[in-house]
Amino acid sequence: MIDKHIDESTLLRCPICEAVNMDHEGDIYCHRCDSRIFRNPKLTTSRAWAFLITALMLYIPANLYPILASEQFGSRKENTIIGGIILLWEEGSYPIAMIILVASVLVPILKFIVLLYLLINVKLKKHRYTKLDQHRLHYMTEIIGPWSMVDVFVVAILTGLVHVGTIRVIAGPGATAFVLMVLFTMFAALSIDTRLFKERDPHGSN
Amino acid sequence: MEQYANQNQILDRLIICPKCHTIHEKVMIEKGKSAVCKNCKKVLYHYDERILDKGLALGLTGLILFFVSNLFPLVRVEMLGHEQHVTIISMILSLFENRFYVVGVVVSFIVFIFPTMILLVYVTISWLMIQKKGKTLTKELLVLLSKLLPWNMVEIYLVSILVALVKLIGYMQIHFGLSFWSLVLFVLLDIYISKSIRIGELWELRHRIYDDR
Repeated sequence: MIDKHIDESTLLRCPICEAVNMDHEGDIYCHRCDSRIFRNPKLTTSRAWAFLITALMLYIPANLYPILASEQFGSRKENTIIGGIILLWEEGSYPIAMIILVASVLVPILKFIVLLYLLINVKLKKHRYTKLDQHRLHYMTEIIGPWSMVDVFVVAILTGLVHVGTIRVIAGPGATAFVLMVLFTMFAALSIDTRLFKERDPHGSN
Repeated sequence: MEQYANQNQILDRLIICPKCHTIHEKVMIEKGKSAVCKNCKKVLYHYDERILDKGLALGLTGLILFFVSNLFPLVRVEMLGHEQHVTIISMILSLFENRFYVVGVVVSFIVFIFPTMILLVYVTISWLMIQKKGKTLTKELLVLLSKLLPWNMVEIYLVSILVALVKLIGYMQIHFGLSFWSLVLFVLLDIYISKSIRIGELWELRHRIYDDR
């Protein structure tokens, strides 16, 4: 359609400068910005797996350890992410409880599911969704991913703000695990090779 | 060699939608209009003559607003006669004081170092391209810019401040500081910059400025 010498299915979008490049064997350097934009897909895929598994493992301590501790008149209270959401809900601040629930629980879980799905898809080479849908899923994880930082920022602000008289709020060990979890899911999303998203198998998905 | 140059020219006439990866051929558009993806309606590029002036002006405004946001307290809380305030810097320092080094480093990069770098890069690129200087430097800065942008989370930081304050309502009296309002303006400006200045357009402009002579 576009040009008789160019096969449309081999065209790639440079993630750095958005220029269109041709797919070929080996490392690919963008013709406009000269960045190495694609490498051996085996290497990047196993790196994406490593980042994702690390993030999944970090999600466990992030939820088991308290993310926030408050000291009031000498007594210490610790809250995990889920505990904090339940507390907010019981106190009646529903909108805030919903924001934290979406940002710290639903967004990471959704990201895990989508990234796992895309990576398994690439591994089994069974593409139940179209190529465009896979790209859309990948784009979505990049957009919603950073929103899980909300709880980390909230903890940081409360730690900086609340040491008034005998009342003190400080971060908990869960916060460290959580922030690393967010970083590793972002790295995982960035290292998935989008070239491996292929068109749906025309002979049925099985 | 010539064949490759030719091929790149053909490739440069194409654009791939960042959202759904549909391939389009670029078309000429009128001033002030935008080209959108035929599949998902995402804006692909627009025709803006003053993109460099915008980059320079908005970048400098952003730097001033961000400087003010760091100068004064964001919020002040009062409780039983005790008072406490927080600035962006004091928030980061208190994380380090409480020995949350990992959280402290990540938060300081995301809410302080990256936003400053992004604005400085916008200002430098726009200025260099207006002056038609620094062919290789603009290239390196544009590559740096697109690596920094995914880590720009100032709007998420602003939402987080509000969430944190709502948690404190009922326990303490809350007063917003000057820096809070300049941070609000900064975030609005930041959203406007990311909507109106697209990396792809800067690359094309760079090509026209330095290679067409």
